[in-house]
Amino acid sequence: MIAFISGGARSGKSTHAEALARRWQTERGGACYYLATARRSDDGEWQARIDRHRQARGEGWITLEEPIDLVAALERVEPGGTLLLDCLTLWASQLLYFSDFDEAQGVAMIERLLVEARRRDVALVIVSNDVNEGMPPEDAEVWRYLAFLQRAHRLLAQEADEVIQVMAGLSQVWKRRGEERS
Amino acid sequence: MQLFIGGACAGKRHAVRQRFDAPRWHSAYVGSRLETWPAFGEARCLVLEGWECWIGQRLAAEPDDDRLRRAMTRELDALRAWEAEQGSEAVLILLEMGRGIVPLGLEKRRLRDLNGWLAQDAAARCERVWYVWNGLVKSLTL
Repeated sequence: MIAFISGGARSGKSTHAEALARRWQTERGGACYYLATARRSDDGEWQARIDRHRQARGEGWITLEEPIDLVAALERVEPGGTLLLDCLTLWASQLLYFSDFDEAQGVAMIERLLVEARRRDVALVIVSNDVNEGMPPEDAEVWRYLAFLQRAHRLLAQEADEVIQVMAGLSQVWKRRGEERS
Repeated sequence: MQLFIGGACAGKRHAVRQRFDAPRWHSAYVGSRLETWPAFGEARCLVLEGWECWIGQRLAAEPDDDRLRRAMTRELDALRAWEAEQGSEAVLILLEMGRGIVPLGLEKRRLRDLNGWLAQDAAARCERVWYVWNGLVKSLTL
């Protein structure tokens, strides 16, 4: 099972995603993993944000830290487990700006992540942030980032079994278990 | 007339290509000006995209927002009249750009406002309105 959850900032995406991951874990058994894509840092504020997120999730999560190589992180998840990735925007910026991968390789990495998750029977909940409905960027580098993130979003929305848009804490179902809208 | 609206790189063009067979494209992104669309008057289906560019091209010459909004509305009405005359269909692709922070520059604020009004005026004239989000498409009309 693969879910893609997106929406605006502070729309309630993480809360919804955590609840979904917990539900799948209860249904399927196995452990719940949290994939932290944020790099550890000496920055006190950044560390405080990470700690706050960790506290909000509560007990019972196994945290994996991996800023870029999503497939390597997935390989550390026991088959039958549930993996929550929150959020893709951070991964996208780290891949473009702090790795040797380009956009095509980034998209290929997501494709492999989905294939491997299904093969290993890992349920995957992926959270991202919609940043494309404001004024279009003027800076070419920002365009590159936006276009890459959107490529990833379109691929995930296409391939996921469940696609949810969260707004004001409420979820809009775009797709659920293969029942796709035309 | 049908309207496809969504954010940048949301998959709007793909959604249109999936639904319409070999339409003519009139695109601001390859430099076409809005007023030259009647050259494709014989088309069965005409897609018009890049409306934010067409608005942008008119901002300097028309400082009054209401007059510019009405001028854009007249273009929509001309397309409706053409559809009725030819038995053809016009498909509009509009960029959603109203969900970010209010831009600091006056020109950008005007562009954003006029683009939003155009979307409202277009939706009011279209039989079908589609929202494109991350490659998925939802009908906003019944």
